[in-house]
Amino acid sequence: MIHKKRSLDGATRESLDRATNGTGTDGTGTDGTGTDGTGTAGAIEARGIVKSFKARGDVLAGRTVRALRGVDFRIPPGGAASFIGESGCGKTTLGRILAGVESFDSGELVLGGVPLAGLAPRKRAPHFRRVQLIHQDPYSALNPTRTVESILRDPLALRAKQTGQSRAWIDGRAREVLDLVGLDPGYVLPRFPHQLSGGMRQRVVIARALTVDPAALVADEAVSMIDVSLRLGVLNLLRELRSTLGVSVLFITHDVATARYIGADGELYVIYRGEIVEHGPTETVLADPVHPYTQCLLSAIPVLHGVEQPGADRLAPTEPLDESQPEDGCLFAARCPFATDRCRTEHPELGHLGGTAHEHACFYPQRRSVVATPLADT
Amino acid sequence: MVTAVEIPTGNTPALTPARRGFWRNLWRVLRRKPTRVAGAVIVALFVVMGVVGPFLYPANLPTDPGNAYAGPSGSHLLGTDFQGTDVLALLVTGSRYVLVAAVIAAACTVVVGTGIGLYAGYRRGGPDSVLMRITDFIITIPGLPLLLVLSTLWKYSNPLTMGLVLGVTGWGSVARAVRSQTLSLRERGFIEAARGLGLSTAHVVRKELLPNVAPYVAMNLLISVTVYIYLEVGLFFLGVLPFNENNWGVMISQAVQNGVTQTGQGLAYLLSPLVAILLLTLGIVLLVDAMDEVFNPRLRED
Amino acid sequence: MTAATQATTSTAAAAPPAVTIRDLTIVYRTPAGELPAVSGVDLDLPPGTITGLVGESGSGKSTLALSLLGAVQRPGRIAAGSIHVDGLGNLVELSAKSLQEARGGEIGYVFQAAQNSLNPLKTVGKQLLDLGRSHGVRDRTALVRSAKELLAGMGLDAARVLDSYQHELSGGMRQRVGIMFALVLNAHVLVLDEPTTALDMISQANVLKIVRAVHTERGLTTLLVTHDIGVVAEVAERIAVMYGGVVVEQGETADVLRAPKHPYARALINAIPRVSGDLSAARPLPGRPPTLGTIPTRGCVFRERCAVYAERQLPACVAEQPPLAPVADGSGRLVACHAVAVEDQQATGETA
Repeated sequence: MIHKKRSLDGATRESLDRATNGTGTDGTGTDGTGTDGTGTAGAIEARGIVKSFKARGDVLAGRTVRALRGVDFRIPPGGAASFIGESGCGKTTLGRILAGVESFDSGELVLGGVPLAGLAPRKRAPHFRRVQLIHQDPYSALNPTRTVESILRDPLALRAKQTGQSRAWIDGRAREVLDLVGLDPGYVLPRFPHQLSGGMRQRVVIARALTVDPAALVADEAVSMIDVSLRLGVLNLLRELRSTLGVSVLFITHDVATARYIGADGELYVIYRGEIVEHGPTETVLADPVHPYTQCLLSAIPVLHGVEQPGADRLAPTEPLDESQPEDGCLFAARCPFATDRCRTEHPELGHLGGTAHEHACFYPQRRSVVATPLADT
Repeated sequence: MVTAVEIPTGNTPALTPARRGFWRNLWRVLRRKPTRVAGAVIVALFVVMGVVGPFLYPANLPTDPGNAYAGPSGSHLLGTDFQGTDVLALLVTGSRYVLVAAVIAAACTVVVGTGIGLYAGYRRGGPDSVLMRITDFIITIPGLPLLLVLSTLWKYSNPLTMGLVLGVTGWGSVARAVRSQTLSLRERGFIEAARGLGLSTAHVVRKELLPNVAPYVAMNLLISVTVYIYLEVGLFFLGVLPFNENNWGVMISQAVQNGVTQTGQGLAYLLSPLVAILLLTLGIVLLVDAMDEVFNPRLRED
Repeated sequence: MTAATQATTSTAAAAPPAVTIRDLTIVYRTPAGELPAVSGVDLDLPPGTITGLVGESGSGKSTLALSLLGAVQRPGRIAAGSIHVDGLGNLVELSAKSLQEARGGEIGYVFQAAQNSLNPLKTVGKQLLDLGRSHGVRDRTALVRSAKELLAGMGLDAARVLDSYQHELSGGMRQRVGIMFALVLNAHVLVLDEPTTALDMISQANVLKIVRAVHTERGLTTLLVTHDIGVVAEVAERIAVMYGGVVVEQGETADVLRAPKHPYARALINAIPRVSGDLSAARPLPGRPPTLGTIPTRGCVFRERCAVYAERQLPACVAEQPPLAPVADGSGRLVACHAVAVEDQQATGETA
């Protein structure tokens, strides 16, 4: 026990040093940072995160909306976790909490192996910095009055000041991060954001995040505002960063297919009204969802008729989320096609399905095949 | 209605050189519309007049009581006043006080207003509440009576004093407007990103927020120059402020006191400062139109 | 008889109208001269079908949709071509007054981001009455009744919705209100511009279900404009793919999705990750979609990003934009590609 605590302290110190003084190996370039990232980053873990908002300006005005009701998850270094759910389910709040732009009411957060619970707010900042948020709208995420060069320079200059690097290092590093995201520095550096396509802008946003050698990227609907033909390029980039730099990716979306593309080898969390209702390896959950909410969500994905056939058990669309629905019992009971009296009175807890890694929070888990599958002849 | 397409601002937007100095940008933007060039020329003329003008004339302008209220003529382009002094000379030598005081006041307004607006909008919470209460207080101070009261302390013989007093009492509305702009900018992703990258508050305010409120601030700077000119001229016209220097407001005041409005004699004497004020206002209004494009790289492209 | 009473008495009596667009060119005035956002487009909306118009930003799809409403705004204008709607005639030649009547009358339009297109200061009911007044509807009771029927049909509490302000409705509800406004004056042509863009999957599925239902129930001819092929695949019988102001492929949705012929259509369909099957089948498309200023003025609009051109370098691809022409297989598919035309010629040459 004591030994464990000491090793944790060691990790704390090491990680703090990294965050405030830099890695010291940065000068060697991309490879240095990359291997470094995997080496000491450690996992991201959340335990029982709770967050409430005072709702304002709409139907629920004045009421307290419970955005997150005790969320647990873990992402290993270089791993991927996707959070899917409707708008208003709390997935965006979760990402913002991880990146430190939103506070949380209770629960514990471990970033890069360091529990934040005991740290003063000022001491937390360097750890939160290692989790970078990639916004949905790459246009609003870049200052329209500044060139890409000056956008990248500022965080690098700060970094250089902390680590005693030279001006040349800043210039070199700016080019390196652009190379990493597949942009031509010569073309991009002197330009303003509006002179770039949506896909390029989002790559610049990712490049800017890479200037601080993040351990994790939180991508909140990161491709939904990008043209369809350019989306895959950005998704591929996020996949590459996972393998080359060991950056873990937390992907937040309502688009299940992109979540699968990013993290087919990772974990999928289905979140409903601030609660995880199903969780497991991505492919398992998609192929064999057991929670009716997951099944409704997956049934709502359009089927490419002609190329795909709808899943045999595809469910009809449920009514959209209504936050005023009762909170006793299962939160999904009011919309669930299979709900019983027990569901309306008793709250199901997240539990493992027959000893597997597949977790669910349903009294009557039943596998249903709802996702469309490719037609045999194509 | 709906804009279905993004109208390109240029034929090859992706290839225009991206960075240029502020003055080159300004020139390019001005050239786009003849009205802007006209505005810039007018404003420049007044600046030259204020800077160089007083050196062209002796400190005490000659009087010629025998030739009072003369109309425009070859020797007196704008006629003469009640003492027979050349009106053009009065106009030129009187411009400096008015312009310097107005510019100082506008600069005060913009610096104080923008600073407070940015800080309050960015920090929100406590500092915001405190600063906005102070701002409300400043806004509610009735400017004119205060200036009158203060005239018992200062004689406003120096345009600097005048400018400072006007500026210090006039920044309230700019602060409020900049604050509300900052509040909405604050929600934009790039501000959040800058904080997430660990950049300091000073950086965020100076390099992220300021460039985005700059067009607004520049417009305010220009417009408040005209507002302060009106205010000054008004004060002197009322004659409640003692003066020991020649300026436009004094000219109008003197013209009216000497019965130009009743007799119609020496009309040029009364009209000259009024037209000068109108012309300067026009020049500034024409220039204001260019400010958005000067500071917004997207609009700036050819 | 007013439009509103018609709505209640003879909902599906009239046969759905056909819409025929021929050689439509819409230009925008820019500092660089007049540039075409839509050039020489032929598009048929067969009566009673849902046609999906798919394209990326800058493809001209929204401009094309607006032209159906006779609402191309300055600095844009229709430079050439015709839009024929059964019962209305050629929209391009209609007077401003008849166009105004047609808008919201015969042609219903659900705007892009309809979620936010309601007036935040007025209740839905008040806006409904405004709409009726602007179209000279006298029987307000009938108007409200048909609005209530539509809303109830879309699963909403009609009385409550009419009494609500925009902010009191969810995104999906607002979208349904938008559809109600488009149809309440008994429109028979429905144009939906990106109806599901800001909605999550479940709201999207709901809206699509409703679109399908009102389409069938009321006997409409529907054009659904979107960037999302999945949306089209879910509800549309026919699909038209636009790129750089040109329709490059048009045909039965299932046919086109199964075997897209135009290299852009193929690349676009391949660029969508799927929820099942082989992930590595998804391939990104190189380059970026053109904007108004960067659409090639000579040769095929897709040439620069085209895999087929990269490989075969047909001189025709550089020389001119290929016309939208039927494919030889007799499926009724229209494709605008020189390479496809050449293949067809070779195939027919061999069989002959």
